[in-house]
Amino acid sequence: MRPQQPQHQQQRQLEAAPNANPDPAQSGEAPPKQVALAMDRLGDAARLIADIRLGADRLLEALFVAAQPHQSTKPLHLFRKEDASMRQHLQDLRSVGRQLEESGVLNESLRSRSNSWGLHMPLVCPDGAVVAYAWKRQLAGQAGASAVDRTRLALKAFTDQKRRFFPHLDDGLDGQSTESALKKHCGPQVLMGNHQEELSDYKTISDVLLHLEKEVPTLKVFTYERLDWLKRASSLPSSANETSIGTSKEHNFHSSNKLRPGSLSPVATEKISVIELLFPSIFRAIVSLHPAGSIDPDSVAFFSPDEGGSYIHSRGFSVYHVFRRITEHAAMALQYFLGSRAETALHSLLHWICSYQTLFTKVCSKCGRLLLMDRKSALLLPPVYRPYRQFSALKISSTQPNSSAKDTSSDLAQAYHVGCFSEEA
Amino acid sequence: MTLKWVLHWQPNAGSTVNSQILSEVSQCVESINGVKEGRWRATLTFYKPHTREQSMVAEFPRDFLGILLPEQPNKYYFIIRGQRIVLEADSSIQTLMEKLQSYKTRVALHFDGFQYQLGDFQLRVGKVVPTHSENLRGIVMEVEYVPISSVEKARQIMEEFLDIWQEAVSKRSLPGHFMHMEPNFAEYGLTDHYTSQHTAVQYATVMAQLIATVQAVQSVRN
Repeated sequence: MRPQQPQHQQQRQLEAAPNANPDPAQSGEAPPKQVALAMDRLGDAARLIADIRLGADRLLEALFVAAQPHQSTKPLHLFRKEDASMRQHLQDLRSVGRQLEESGVLNESLRSRSNSWGLHMPLVCPDGAVVAYAWKRQLAGQAGASAVDRTRLALKAFTDQKRRFFPHLDDGLDGQSTESALKKHCGPQVLMGNHQEELSDYKTISDVLLHLEKEVPTLKVFTYERLDWLKRASSLPSSANETSIGTSKEHNFHSSNKLRPGSLSPVATEKISVIELLFPSIFRAIVSLHPAGSIDPDSVAFFSPDEGGSYIHSRGFSVYHVFRRITEHAAMALQYFLGSRAETALHSLLHWICSYQTLFTKVCSKCGRLLLMDRKSALLLPPVYRPYRQFSALKISSTQPNSSAKDTSSDLAQAYHVGCFSEEA
Repeated sequence: MTLKWVLHWQPNAGSTVNSQILSEVSQCVESINGVKEGRWRATLTFYKPHTREQSMVAEFPRDFLGILLPEQPNKYYFIIRGQRIVLEADSSIQTLMEKLQSYKTRVALHFDGFQYQLGDFQLRVGKVVPTHSENLRGIVMEVEYVPISSVEKARQIMEEFLDIWQEAVSKRSLPGHFMHMEPNFAEYGLTDHYTSQHTAVQYATVMAQLIATVQAVQSVRN
């Protein structure tokens, strides 16, 4: 009932373990190994917490016994021993916690690098569950479910995640089309080389957003901390009683810059994790940054400007078909931008999102119409596809007034229906 | 909110509207993949002033309408077309009017029909019948694009939809066509952001058009 000896051994092992890895195993360790280490440490933390609970029970018991009459010094002795072992447990827990923080599990300070294969460190969910990948929750075992059910659930969760985060893997022709696209665009690669300096200027969120606001004057940009966005999303009007858009609590990017000295409300740049792009009466796009304060986007979603509710976030889906389609397309565009040039991914993504301001006015570049019946879903949709493959290089170069940019800038402005879009475009 | 165009059926010169046309139109909606959802009904009331002296009647506006819309069951809309006035009131105002007895119902009409879903579009096809009668006086259609609410921004989409719709209807060789007449919302004090008041104004315009058509037919007959 009271295995104290093995506990002390365990403590010594835990003390040894943190010292053996003075530098958290980020350098040179492959991401799956990091994930495995983090899972182990989380397990250790859980065991320590259990030990602390047991120790607390024993302390109470010792106190209770001491309160009884006719006791020797035995309870005092017990108390002292428990006190020592509790302090040891708490110290060990602190060091494990520090390790987990350093490896980015408990907070989001770790930048996900471009070679991390898109995998993030395991996160501790608000309900306390630990998620390495979402599908691991299923494999970890659900009480009462059979192995077959668990496997089926795991497979479903896994395919959903794969479709979401690796959409280009679904497309079997992807390898061929990227080759031909690369061959066609050797020219613009040279242009891109000339503008390396410009691109590297946009290193912070402020740079990116200020540049965006200058280029696209009809756009309204707002930034938020993650929880602040959830509050705002829930308070967005969703019915006919829409009051003026700019009244509720929001952090307009420009005004937050002006208010920064000595003000409590503006969002500190290092905490920004949600960017809202609003084209009034056309659409609202939500981009999430992970980790907070970085320029690494991790998800994007489009919504109607009149939608409101807690489902309005970068991983949510609009209730309207047109914006759902765009969101699916945007997920692929995001993966493309992250894969081709991760440092400018946010910049490219935001500019690409702005190309949708013509969603309800620009006709399809292939069939010349605005509405077309989509065969698969039997719905009438406007052109929801905007090409993204050649986007990153050419869009940046459109600020230069030379003839090749003029030719390509008309390419930029293309739009396609779902059925009119082909990879060779 | 959403955005809506209210269309009405304009029969060709010399022909009238009948229930055969209505069923053909409904089939047309289904042919463009509209999914029938349920029924809808709106009610429009023409008011006349209640005065003792007949000579006073001419001093009051003749085109004072009240409309009850299905999407706003707690509201009632008043329109005086001649003076470009639209008002949104609580539906309890009808009780008030009955008590006041200052204006009485001259004629009341129902717009009755089915509602269809077509992706982000919602369509309503309805017949115009006076209350307590089965006489088909006209056909109206509502075309609603749900994702946005700006009258101007949605104009192109609605125009293209109307083109697609007219093309589908013309294939059936019916004696007439749908017409859309957009009222000048600004004259009524309405903004670019679409509301049920816009719908009420469109219905008032449609009624004026229907009456003019009926009167034209009658004058031709006479």
